[in-house]
Amino acid sequence: MSKGCFALLACLLALPLQATEFAPLDRNAARQLLDPANHRQPTVVTLWSADCSYCKKNLQLLSSLRKNNKQLKVISIAAEAAGTAQEQAIDRYALPEPHYAYGADNPEAIAYAIDPDWAGELPRTFLFDGHGHLEKVSGVISVGRIEKATGLRFQ
Amino acid sequence: MRHFKFSCLLGATMAALVFGSAAAAEERHQHAMSERPVRVELGSTPAFGPDGALYVASKRGEHVVVERSSDLAQTWDAPRVVNADPEAISADGENRPKIAFARDGSLLVSWTKPLSKPYAGEIRFARADDGKNFSAPITVHQDRREITHRFESMAVGQEGQILIAWVDKRDLEASGGKKDAYRGAAIYAATSLDGGRSFQTEHKVADHSCECCRIAIAHDRDGALLLLWRHVFAPNERDHAMARLNPDGTPASVQRATFDHWKIDACPHHGPSLVVDENGVRHAVWFNMTEGKAPVHYGRLIDRGNALVVEGQISVGGPRAAHADIASAAGRLGIVWKEFDGERTNLFAMLSVDGGKSFRTLPLAATAGSSDQPRIILRQATLFAFWRTENEGFRVIELP
Repeated sequence: MSKGCFALLACLLALPLQATEFAPLDRNAARQLLDPANHRQPTVVTLWSADCSYCKKNLQLLSSLRKNNKQLKVISIAAEAAGTAQEQAIDRYALPEPHYAYGADNPEAIAYAIDPDWAGELPRTFLFDGHGHLEKVSGVISVGRIEKATGLRFQ
Repeated sequence: MRHFKFSCLLGATMAALVFGSAAAAEERHQHAMSERPVRVELGSTPAFGPDGALYVASKRGEHVVVERSSDLAQTWDAPRVVNADPEAISADGENRPKIAFARDGSLLVSWTKPLSKPYAGEIRFARADDGKNFSAPITVHQDRREITHRFESMAVGQEGQILIAWVDKRDLEASGGKKDAYRGAAIYAATSLDGGRSFQTEHKVADHSCECCRIAIAHDRDGALLLLWRHVFAPNERDHAMARLNPDGTPASVQRATFDHWKIDACPHHGPSLVVDENGVRHAVWFNMTEGKAPVHYGRLIDRGNALVVEGQISVGGPRAAHADIASAAGRLGIVWKEFDGERTNLFAMLSVDGGKSFRTLPLAATAGSSDQPRIILRQATLFAFWRTENEGFRVIELP
């Protein structure tokens, strides 16, 4: 592969990682994303919406923890269709990993695939330790809780 | 989604360059495009008019429209546009255009217009004397700051006044944004004494409501208006409070109405519903997460003088029950709600003929696609479930 081609491919692979870009989530993708077997490193999947002020607290915290410890992977899911309000909101946190938003699939089916025990309250956070364990939390989260569930330290 | 579209196009173009296959690129492009969400905001409000016809307010593009059916949703008249000039309209989840009828038969419509700042909105209102031709919309509140005035509810009161109540964040803003300086938002209300041609200056009903749950309105036994909303009791219990209003919309009383002690710093997006039956008994349905119980609850809110107590609290439906609505007619009490079963969303009803002491449950409908919150409405003494689903449209089901 020529150098030019390699650069193009690298650029192509990097595209889904750009900020302000929402990948549309359907029920199958949601199931994959929330399967502990698919997370080999400490990961937080954080559900939020533009209307939810508590979600912004969690996003802010996760953003600062991510800067503190690059071992933490953060995946955000807007539990609604993406629009300008969602783009502007998520931009503020400069989280590098892919951002998802609800796609054209039935929102109740997506929610069920994310977590059958979740009744729609936000924020809802999923903490993976990277070794098959998953912890679910509704509401504002603390650093201690994230440390305990992921096994990471942020001091 | 413009960024998504752009990068898909770019990605497809680059894939073609790298892999030398325009066909593959086209396939990727088509696949990506087909996944772009096209979401119709389904939030709609039905009501039977004085003429016995069914009216539904909903959103179509940047217009609120009212549709009328004289044969229970079999056929519909051409939709009537409420706001001639286009504007942003909230019509999803807990927020949707509302409809009511004034004593003189005028058609009244209210809605929330979201503004560009996060959480900001205005409460809008228009009326049609003839049920067809609407006045220019007015903004209901005097406070025009670009802050939260959203999640409005509307009712016509005992003296013919029009009351609109909403979630308002002016007190939160006034707290200076200091951390935890003000719990939640506030409930504000404004009253019109001239059939909706103008509204009196708004006033506060209560501090510390939850921020984004719909407000229930009902008529008390003597016709006074009651409001029921999700409240944030100190420090963070998201239970409910009820206000009984004077004819001018000021609160005569504000009392705690539910006692589930759901402590959480989160947005449930799940408001209550309230009805008062012919005997003056207040029946409510609400959503609260409580250990070991299904989350939707029914109970009677009994006035013990200086406090309300909940009598006969039971769960409505199973663990995924959601967005219940309640109504009462001719000795019958009806509750509708929806529940996703892993494949489809099901609509259920619970009916009681003994004032809520016992219920029978019946399945009403199901859909494979998206759906609005269900409503229960009445025409004279008959209860109907109303449900808008993406695949099937407006459905009206008479309850036995």
